Amino acid sequence: MYRGHSITTSISCAVSAADLSKTYELSGEETEVLKGVNLEVYPGEFVSIRGSSGTGKTTLLNLIGGIDRPTSGKIAVFGEDLTQKDEDQLADFRCSCVGFVFQAYNLISTLTVSENVAFPMEWRQTPSEQIINRVAALLEIVGMGQRANYFPSQLSGGEQQRVAFARALSNDPPLILADEPTGNLDNMNSQRITDIFRLLKSQGKTIITSTHDANIFALADRKFTLENGRLTT
Amino acid sequence: MNETFFPLADLLRRKLQTSLVVTILALSVASTLSLLLFCDRVGLGILSTGDIMTKGLTAVLFQFVTFVEILVFAVGAVIVTFVAYLMMTQRRRDIGLIKAAGCPNGLVAGYFMTELLLVIIAGCTLGVLSGIFVDYVVSRSGDYQFIQGNPNYWLVLLVFVTFFVLALVFGMKPILDASRMSPIKALSPLIYFGLSGKKEFKPLSDHGLTWRLSYRSLVRRQSATLRIVALLSIVFILTTVVVAGSIIASDSTVSWIESSSDGKTVAIAHMEMAAQYDLLRSKFSTHFDQVERFNYSDERFAISPDAIQLLKNIPGVSEIDPRLILEEHIREVGNFTIDPETLATLPVGDSREGDSVIIGVDPSKLSLHSIQGRTIDAGSLSEAVIGDSIAHSMFSPNPSKGISLSNPLVQTVGIRGGSFTIVGVRVDPINNGRVVYVPIQKLANITDVVYTNIVFVTVAQSADFTTTVAEIRRNMTEANPNLDVIEIAHISKKNVGFLKSIWSTIMILPLFVLSSAALCLVGYLIAALDEQKKEFATLRALGGKSKLVVTSLAFQSSIILLSGFGIGVSLGIVVTLVILMANPLVSILTVLEIAAWLFSALVGIFIVTLIPAFSMAKSPILRHMI
Repeated sequence: MYRGHSITTSISCAVSAADLSKTYELSGEETEVLKGVNLEVYPGEFVSIRGSSGTGKTTLLNLIGGIDRPTSGKIAVFGEDLTQKDEDQLADFRCSCVGFVFQAYNLISTLTVSENVAFPMEWRQTPSEQIINRVAALLEIVGMGQRANYFPSQLSGGEQQRVAFARALSNDPPLILADEPTGNLDNMNSQRITDIFRLLKSQGKTIITSTHDANIFALADRKFTLENGRLTT
Repeated sequence: MNETFFPLADLLRRKLQTSLVVTILALSVASTLSLLLFCDRVGLGILSTGDIMTKGLTAVLFQFVTFVEILVFAVGAVIVTFVAYLMMTQRRRDIGLIKAAGCPNGLVAGYFMTELLLVIIAGCTLGVLSGIFVDYVVSRSGDYQFIQGNPNYWLVLLVFVTFFVLALVFGMKPILDASRMSPIKALSPLIYFGLSGKKEFKPLSDHGLTWRLSYRSLVRRQSATLRIVALLSIVFILTTVVVAGSIIASDSTVSWIESSSDGKTVAIAHMEMAAQYDLLRSKFSTHFDQVERFNYSDERFAISPDAIQLLKNIPGVSEIDPRLILEEHIREVGNFTIDPETLATLPVGDSREGDSVIIGVDPSKLSLHSIQGRTIDAGSLSEAVIGDSIAHSMFSPNPSKGISLSNPLVQTVGIRGGSFTIVGVRVDPINNGRVVYVPIQKLANITDVVYTNIVFVTVAQSADFTTTVAEIRRNMTEANPNLDVIEIAHISKKNVGFLKSIWSTIMILPLFVLSSAALCLVGYLIAALDEQKKEFATLRALGGKSKLVVTSLAFQSSIILLSGFGIGVSLGIVVTLVILMANPLVSILTVLEIAAWLFSALVGIFIVTLIPAFSMAKSPILRHMI
């Protein structure tokens, strides 16, 4: 449905989560990570979520990004009910609508920097010429143009995270989800990531990030705290 | 926690990996041992008993079985070394972690050496016990009474010790390497990488990306990849030799046996003589403890000219071939030849002696399929064709008797006062190849037995066989109530069935080895998946579909399998046709049958290797993201 197509419809709500709950079973014991979370994020909005470790920030982002499914409740992104989609539809959704940035970067070790940025576009069968130009442009934006042919193992943590941002932007998704993007970085690299966020915000991207970084938190239009599985402003 | 308890607990915790390694080791040891024991029984067993199958067939089978035996041993050894290496290479990160936690080098090596020892002892012991059990079952199965008896315990010891030592040596290497490595290096993904940073970026298609991921994944595990390709190559050499060899050898040898009798031929003889002829042919596939001396020249066995005349008048009879069967003492007559290089005169053969069945035939009616030389000339009175067992026992070099040069085709066989130039050697099931065919007229002259004691009657292709045989039977009973009519095809079928059963058993031998190889490849791919699981999960989280995992693993599996298959099958075919089987009988059907078997093996292994990929593709993304 999404692969190869851009979203053209005008949607009033970018993300809408209603009474969202998620329970994990660990060693026979059930742990309710999210308890009836309600959240509405509008297009172009920058939302920041903070909270102690284990409070469910990553789980919430995974549910919004369609990586995980809620135990109960509804979640819609750009008007699409994610709970109604099968695995392949969710894969298409993630490829086209969401740019995900993980705390641990998660670059593919066997692909070069360029290839890491290019592969989401290859899945959408974007013409080669366009891929080459866009990869070069994105790497310039994140300041990694000189490292295009390096493998992830040859980069520092900050550099890897910048590549991860370029990868998240490759299909020009309307929604960016960033899970503790500066969690493993030093101040200087964190500042670079903050600059990237500032740029994305100016481009009108909808951004949801979980972070403890004060600079990023300060950039947000709306700020939430997740505590005991509940979201508060 | 002491040095024994920790590895034991660790092995129990990693149930899947431990059981897979122990299973592969056990399967490999068991298959190698049972195959070696079987080969030993079939090869050496037949050679030593010497009273079943002709010497020519025994030689083909023995050569074949010996080669298979060597290959089986090599395959087993390669599998064991691969498994031990793979198992311990997978633990390199764990070794790094333990070292990073402050464990001294000696203790780290001790932990993992104990773990390796426990696995090898379990695998080898289970393997030896299973191998002996399989050998027991096979040797007691209905068709192989001749290979009963105790297994060769030296082979059991050889397999256990060799495989134990190999597994230990090859398993130790990565442990010692990792225990000497710094924790940072042991934990670093860089030690796996064989990647260069100077790659030109070219966007590819969806499948191009999967191919690139798969190819580089294989490259970065270069050492393990080369090992598994080498392993599969040798496994496929074995499979090809056994499958192609068995089919070709079976077709060829069966055709030799079948050529000794026409399906529409019956033999007529006095009932005692008929029973003796039946016994002579049955010796090929049945062991007889003691055979009483039979007086072939007994006049009661003479078939009268009147009876033969009656046969000629029966409609549907196309050929009548009266023969005289006797048992005589024969002797080898030596000869001389000239060495083409030195021009020296060299003695050929000696004066060896022995007993043999002699069959007097009308040369014009003798159409024998010789494996060497030709048949007797129609007008000749002094030529002979001998069975391959006589050729092996009386007309082949025998260094222990100082006979370095011997060749039946340049020698002569002496029977009583007469001598016959040997013109052909053939595989003949009669009396297990201890048979000599000579012109009946000369045989009668030198033995004074002037009658025939068996008559072969061929029924015309156009005639109804059953009706004609019934008519022959009726006429012969009228001529002499003691005459019996026996169908040659019946005895022939029994011999062919026996031969086919031996070859088909040999053909299923690689099944065990193929199973071990498939499990090894699964083990390798599980290791590959384990290493790539987080990346596959990331790819799926970023929009890749579940089939990406399966496709990528399928690519990796195909590359490895096809490499091993290509190398193994080509070498296997060369070995089969050039080394093992002289004068092979290869038809289009044979080729198709071989191709079908090999292709089935390839597809079977391929499907098995995809199981872990399907299992991972179905599991939730987040399970592998951590």
